[in-house]
Amino acid sequence: MENYGFKGPIPIILLIIICLPIILLYGWLIISSFATRMEGLKPYGWTLNNWRFLLEKPTFFWQTEEETPNIWVYTFNTLIYSFGITIFTIFICTTAGYAISRLNFRGRRSLLALTIILHSFPSITLLVGIFVVLLFLGLYNRLFGVILVRVSLQLPFGIWIMKGFFDSISWDVEMASLVDGCSRLKTWYKIMLPLVRPGILALSVFTFLSGWGDFLFPYIFIPSKTSQTLSVYLRSLTADVRFVDYGLVTAVGLYYMIPIILLYIFAQKYLLNIYTGGTKG
Amino acid sequence: MRILLENLSKHFGKVKAVDSLNLEIKEGEFLVLLGPSGCGKTTTLLLIAGLYKPTFGNIYFGDKIVDHLSPKDRGIGMVFQSYALYPHMNVFDNIAFPLTLMKKPRNEIEKAVREIAKFVQLDEELLERRPGQLSGGQQQRVALARALVKGPSILLLDEPLSNLDAKLRLIMRAEIKHLQKQLGITTILVTHDQVEAMTMGDRIALMHNGKIQQLGTPDELYNQPINLFTAGFIGSPPMNIFNSKIGRDEEGYYILIEESFKVRFPEELFQKLKEENLFLGIRPEHVTISLQASNNLIPGRVYITEPLGRETLLNIQVGNILLKSIVPQTLKVSSGDKIWINFDVNYCHFFDKNGERIKI
Repeated sequence: MENYGFKGPIPIILLIIICLPIILLYGWLIISSFATRMEGLKPYGWTLNNWRFLLEKPTFFWQTEEETPNIWVYTFNTLIYSFGITIFTIFICTTAGYAISRLNFRGRRSLLALTIILHSFPSITLLVGIFVVLLFLGLYNRLFGVILVRVSLQLPFGIWIMKGFFDSISWDVEMASLVDGCSRLKTWYKIMLPLVRPGILALSVFTFLSGWGDFLFPYIFIPSKTSQTLSVYLRSLTADVRFVDYGLVTAVGLYYMIPIILLYIFAQKYLLNIYTGGTKG
Repeated sequence: MRILLENLSKHFGKVKAVDSLNLEIKEGEFLVLLGPSGCGKTTTLLLIAGLYKPTFGNIYFGDKIVDHLSPKDRGIGMVFQSYALYPHMNVFDNIAFPLTLMKKPRNEIEKAVREIAKFVQLDEELLERRPGQLSGGQQQRVALARALVKGPSILLLDEPLSNLDAKLRLIMRAEIKHLQKQLGITTILVTHDQVEAMTMGDRIALMHNGKIQQLGTPDELYNQPINLFTAGFIGSPPMNIFNSKIGRDEEGYYILIEESFKVRFPEELFQKLKEENLFLGIRPEHVTISLQASNNLIPGRVYITEPLGRETLLNIQVGNILLKSIVPQTLKVSSGDKIWINFDVNYCHFFDKNGERIKI
């Protein structure tokens, strides 16, 4: 294979320079979480003290100890939130994506157009409306309510992606399964779902990550401490204007990032599928 | 199982993909649906399979109307152009899939799969592989095995050979035909390849624009084409077809070919040809060549020679038209040589200006 340019150290140096700010920030985050005090990038003294939040509840002078749940409650909530979103999104997107890709029904085209419009719709403008709906349904201040909101916002993108994956499967395979003795529904889960597995994996990872990193919706719609997620907790640590314990903030931040880093390491090839695997309209 | 199509139509919007088709396929017959792409042959097959619902008309299997039955309840086996194997299952599971859906006991499935694999000459060791690890020919055999494993009464083949290379196609052609005769299963094959159709089919239904142009044995289609379309479609190299006119001069009747040269035929012929304007068709192998001039022979010039190995295809310029002739390899001519041609009246086909055959 020919190598088109891009030889020697120059591109690598360029890339390093571009990435430098990011590397520095993450470096600072990691170092700071194990340091007693930081001055710029220079730590003064090492400690594990910042990580004591894993064992005990950090207390603030304005709270009594009983009011703050410990970190595991937040972690648990975040996991429920992320997994909840993922499961609902996958279920709806695989069914809807299949329907839009394969079935001929009235309004199919307009539905397709609608999903694109919804996808480009800034969700922030819906905040007040969502608030009213959640209140009406009695789902305000509950994790499940926010999960529903997040899923619905995730759907246009997910449906579009899954439709692309279903599109890339030849009709012949589906017809063969119908002739072989499957009903349409059986074809969907016995033949089609296994074939779009890369898409399902990619969308799962993607959705999980977006749920894990979500801040705005949990922050606004769940005021109650016991149902909050890690991102909201992290923010509450920096809320105090007089004293912010940066050691603690960085430690929690790093802790918050660990699952994401792991997921990226193990699932990046699935994530790439979203961009390479049959997203043809 | 006998299949009867009665006024079968399938419309996609304004397009009539299949247009009032009437066709009976006899028990145990190998019928080929032949036609250019877009002629409605695959649509017809999918209608029979139940994958499409007819817009009008009925389909009978035996004496029963099956219009309302879904594909799985029709007792058919089908092989697709792309083979349509399930990539996520190994070969064994692919073949076993129809039986698994019928909830047959495991040992029965095991036995049936191995038997059918042997029948289509699929190596035992391939059963554990994934379809992606097989060659085209092997995939084809798997697809056949999967179609046959549940013992269907009708076998539908949708261009099963078009993805194979030329050599393998020849082998599978004979093999599928042999298999069909052995099983005696009513079979419908869809193809655009006339050689495939001629070699495999008991009868051929040649389709064009959603209608059957001609239904008959390969021999009938080749030797008695019912209209210009059949005449031009069947045969390779295709029939020479000329726009012609009947005329008469002091020597008697003649046919003026493409306003270019005259061909004289016996007088009796012209009593049967009523119309002045017609089409004359003659197959390349029936254009006879002579190296010497003589009476009634038409002078021409070799335009180009195309050696085909066993024989040579000559492109001959006569007047301002080109016509094709197949001659034995032993006839040594080259471009620019002067030759004389003759049309054998017994092998000439005449069509009226609407393209319908004129019976002589």
